[in-house]
Amino acid sequence: MSKTFDRFASITFLLVGLLFVIESRSISQSAYGSTVGPNIFPTALGIILILLSIRLLFETTKYKGQEGTKEPVQYVKFLIIFVSAAIYAAVLEPVGYVISTFIFLLIAFQTMERGKWISTIIIAGAFSFGIYYFFSEFLGGSLPGFPEF
Amino acid sequence: MGTLDFLLNGFAVAFQWQNILFAFVGVVIGTAVGVLPGIGPMSGVALLIPITSTLTSGMPVEAAAASSIILLAGVYYGAMYGGSTTSILLNTPGESSSVVTTLDGYQMARQGRAGAALSIAAIGSFFAGIVSLIGLVLLAEPLSRVALKFGPAEYFALMLLGLCAVSGLAGKSMTKTLIMTVSGLLLATIGIDGVSGIARFTYDLPILYSGLEFLTIAVGLFALGEVFKTILERDKESGAIAKIDRIVPTKQDLKDSAVPIVRGSLLGFFIGVLPGAGATLASFFSYIAEKKFSKHPEKFGKGAIEGVAGPESANNAASGGALIPLLTLGIPGSGTTAILMGALIMYNVQPGPLLFNDHPEVAWGLIASMFIGNLMLLVLNMPLVKVFAKIIQTPKKYLLPIIVAISFFGVYAVQYTTFDLYLLLACGLLGYLLAKNDYPLAPLVLALVLGPMIENNMRRALTISNGDFSIFLTRPLSLTFIIIALAWLLIPLLMKFKGRTVVVNEED
Repeated sequence: MSKTFDRFASITFLLVGLLFVIESRSISQSAYGSTVGPNIFPTALGIILILLSIRLLFETTKYKGQEGTKEPVQYVKFLIIFVSAAIYAAVLEPVGYVISTFIFLLIAFQTMERGKWISTIIIAGAFSFGIYYFFSEFLGGSLPGFPEF
Repeated sequence: MGTLDFLLNGFAVAFQWQNILFAFVGVVIGTAVGVLPGIGPMSGVALLIPITSTLTSGMPVEAAAASSIILLAGVYYGAMYGGSTTSILLNTPGESSSVVTTLDGYQMARQGRAGAALSIAAIGSFFAGIVSLIGLVLLAEPLSRVALKFGPAEYFALMLLGLCAVSGLAGKSMTKTLIMTVSGLLLATIGIDGVSGIARFTYDLPILYSGLEFLTIAVGLFALGEVFKTILERDKESGAIAKIDRIVPTKQDLKDSAVPIVRGSLLGFFIGVLPGAGATLASFFSYIAEKKFSKHPEKFGKGAIEGVAGPESANNAASGGALIPLLTLGIPGSGTTAILMGALIMYNVQPGPLLFNDHPEVAWGLIASMFIGNLMLLVLNMPLVKVFAKIIQTPKKYLLPIIVAISFFGVYAVQYTTFDLYLLLACGLLGYLLAKNDYPLAPLVLALVLGPMIENNMRRALTISNGDFSIFLTRPLSLTFIIIALAWLLIPLLMKFKGRTVVVNEED
């Protein structure tokens, strides 16, 4: 349990609740098909969320100093994999499934543990080609396979 | 047609060759999911939804829904079998419902009785599976007939009860749990409002008109969240696996565990039927009960076979029992059943009292396939337990990136948008951060699935009453549900206030 995170989270949830309440006001009031318009439910929930986050904020002030829990150590590995996953998402359509998946897997495997290039290449290749052919040829699904020239 | 005819028709569906295959694939993957620590039944089921939906894409809608729910439910109860394997052999539970199995199971393994523990767990799970099925068959019709009389006010109150039950038991902090529930309900309002047809919170982005896709959020929060956690906090490599010598339990073992299996099955089934209390609580209570009933409570924790037989039967029975509120009332009682419900809705099959009338093929096919699936699990688990135990040695460096790739493939294959891939990554990050700080994820997913239905029923009830909110309190059934819902939230609070420890349900 981290005090800082809970504080940050309670303020974020408070803002989210506020956003929903404010934005609900701009939903048109038409109550077609119902006496209650489409804005009531989100407004009420937004208010409840605001109240709950205020309560959480109060609770955080009561925490005894429980800081200093073990922090994760592998930030670098995680960041590399996360960023390459984001790039993978971005290039999936233009570059095509097979190549982007192959490269993503290769980077991720090597980030997890260096070395053993041959087996990582084989596994990454088998997965990306295998899934693509199984899905698009055998099951008749549609995936952007290769870059279009 | 009586229940028996429906059941026979269900068997006709379940015995179609593709459905036998689907049940088989489901239980095998489920066992693997149960064995692998890190992937629980929830992420396992969520990850398989896109794959089943492509596998069934050529079939008629009803048959496709039946086949895919057969596979997904197989993953769910298969995971209950698999979870015990690692608890016994490695002292690391594959998922939370097998935590108590480590207490006596691992001790048994250290005494060289691993085989007996594993086979008793499998036999107990099988028996429990059959018990919960009989319960399902007996209760399904009457319950759905009662539920057919419900009006929108009753439905609203009942769904509120479901949400409160899950929230009341879900996490360490009630505030955090409620925040997650309300956030889920709010996320569910994004998109075109089903009643008035007005777009809400879409900011003219066409991608938001259909709302945030439940599947993307579930896969992101559970599967990716878990992957990110394992990458960041790489735990120590697991220890040596205990050796399995003889698999067949001795007569004494069977005698000792017969009663705990029956007791665990019944207890687990009833706990499973209750919303909010899932397989984890069931196994936990069963262990306490066995210890109380035992003539030698001192043996517990030192390799008592009752301590394996009871809880393992209970968690399997609970997973069957949890299907009852889902199928008959349309109210999922746990995270995994919420995901199953989302899968059914994707096929335009609405779980609830009408399910048994409108889609008997789906409902009874599923029930019948669970008979077959449980039998397969017993047959698979007895001789192949050594093979399954090997799955745990899959190197994480290959497993984790492949889970990411499967999530990407699954989400893209169903949604065809890059937006959903970004949403998936964001949910993965959020899932990791929230779970790490004790914000339970299951209530959010449950609220996301139930949100539109709660809102529609509320507004329909209010239309009937001309905007008078007292309709929820003047109708006796709806009032009862609301009182129970409040009690579910208040009693744990009161108990905490009095300084009692409250058992919380881990995600399952």
